[in-house]
Amino acid sequence: MIHFENVSKHYDTQTALRNLTFSIEKGEMAFITGPSGSGKTTLLKLIYLSEKPDEGTISVDGREINGLKESEIPVLRRKIGFVFQDFRLLNNRNVFENIALALRIRGINNKDVKTRVFDSLKTVNLRHKADYYPDTLSGGEQQRVVIARAIVSEPTVILADEPTGNVDPDTSAGIMRTFKNINATGTTIIIATHNRKLFRDTGRRVLRLDTGNLVSEEQG
Amino acid sequence: MATYPFRLALRSILHEKWINLLSVLAIAVSLLMTALTVLSVYNVDVATQKLPERFSMMLYLKDTLSGGEVENIMNTLKKEHPVESVKYISKDQALKELKTMLKGTEHVLEGLEGNPLPDSIEIKLKKKAVGPETAQQLAARVKEIKGVDDVEYGEKFLFALSSIKIGVKTIGILFIVIMSASVIFVCYSTVKILFYRKKEEIETYKLLGATKGFIRAPFIIEGAFIGLSGGILSLLGILLVYYIVIFRLSHTIPIFNAFVFPADMSFLLPPVGLFLGIAGAAIAIGRIKY
Ligand SMILES: Nc1ncnc2c1ncn2[C@@H]1O[C@H](COP(=O)(O)OP(=O)(O)OP(=O)(O)O)[C@@H](O)[C@H]1O
Ligand SMILES: [Mg+2]
Repeated sequence: MIHFENVSKHYDTQTALRNLTFSIEKGEMAFITGPSGSGKTTLLKLIYLSEKPDEGTISVDGREINGLKESEIPVLRRKIGFVFQDFRLLNNRNVFENIALALRIRGINNKDVKTRVFDSLKTVNLRHKADYYPDTLSGGEQQRVVIARAIVSEPTVILADEPTGNVDPDTSAGIMRTFKNINATGTTIIIATHNRKLFRDTGRRVLRLDTGNLVSEEQG
Repeated sequence: MATYPFRLALRSILHEKWINLLSVLAIAVSLLMTALTVLSVYNVDVATQKLPERFSMMLYLKDTLSGGEVENIMNTLKKEHPVESVKYISKDQALKELKTMLKGTEHVLEGLEGNPLPDSIEIKLKKKAVGPETAQQLAARVKEIKGVDDVEYGEKFLFALSSIKIGVKTIGILFIVIMSASVIFVCYSTVKILFYRKKEEIETYKLLGATKGFIRAPFIIEGAFIGLSGGILSLLGILLVYYIVIFRLSHTIPIFNAFVFPADMSFLLPPVGLFLGIAGAAIAIGRIKY
């Protein structure tokens, strides 16, 4: 589903990723871990072309994305649901509209938008906060809105960057259960986290980064 | 759904109502001024087109010509392209006319021995041919005809009229160009401001997979709205001017009686505003990069 071949990414002053080669299979749920600054976010950004690799090739769903035409970038991104580490919620829209945006961008009609947004709000236990504005929610609640926005469009791939960074252990377990359920329907999921608890005893693949190098591949 | 960009645009219009209102007013004033300029140019044009109907050229003949020679000259003149009609006026007839003109003050002619006036031919020019150059060339040619003593026509008047027309048109066109540019600029800067304010939002749209069209549409709609509203407002303005001129001024100031009002042209204002608004918005958004 996702394939990295000798991929490197340099920022002005430093190398964020060095010579990465790995594959994530279709329907897999995999983890990317490593200390802060090790390159987890950068790796995910490369997959949806928010950043471009300096060396190597990346393919998604069988297509090389390096040379993608501008008009094809939205097409790629619509296959993917993102949980941004920095949320990227719009503070001038309520929770409902924030989640709905993912569907409106895909041209889905109002009636379906309504049912699907409420469904995904139920999944993250925020049905009662639909009319709230993001800046009136707690950090953990905002995080769950972001997750709802990522899953509402039923993408083929979900990229979750530190999806439980702001929540208590119970909520965290709930979020992981949600991901597991979605993964069970065939959705490929990549979760970047430095929290071992998330992948411990899951039996899933864990790719470990350290200062931009893929240092190990283990079983959680 | 296709209505979503409209909802976004409406949101933005209501949310940023002061910026938008100001832009609409600025555009309305610009378009109104443009329309008034067009109106003035048009009226000067119409007015000056009527003048040449009264324009004629006078040929004064030598004293010694026979009837046949006069006939010859008349025929030569008729063959000239710009000539509409020719009319022979004998010296006796001219004197008679002069006398009727001076009725009551005939004494100024007392002491005249015989008739000092020459025979003459009045030439009327074709309407289209009444330009200073054609008239000048024709005058030069007919002066060469044997038996013609002198040619007289409103030379200075024609040249003045012609340069007024050219001047008014040039200033008018210049003004229209400047005003159109300023309407585009107002739409441009309004949309640019709104676009910058929503930079973060647009960035999120892009990351979520929005197409360029999806991002652009609300801004284009907003630009179109601003332009169209300005256009409609300026139409109302020009109708008000029309009302004042026709129903008020023309009763008190006679010159406004001749005022011509091309109503059809005024109804172009809203679509012109719409077009300029869209153009301004499109320029403001520019190229969207992922
Ligand atoms: N836009 C950028 N410009 C310059 N350097 C950057 C940029 N983005 C990231 N970096 C650098 O690249 C390295 C990897 O950053 P990245 O965000 O991928 O780390 P991370 O593993 O996600 O960290 P964290 O766990 O704190 O989120 C860091 O050292 C960071 O300073
Ligand atoms: Mg990160």
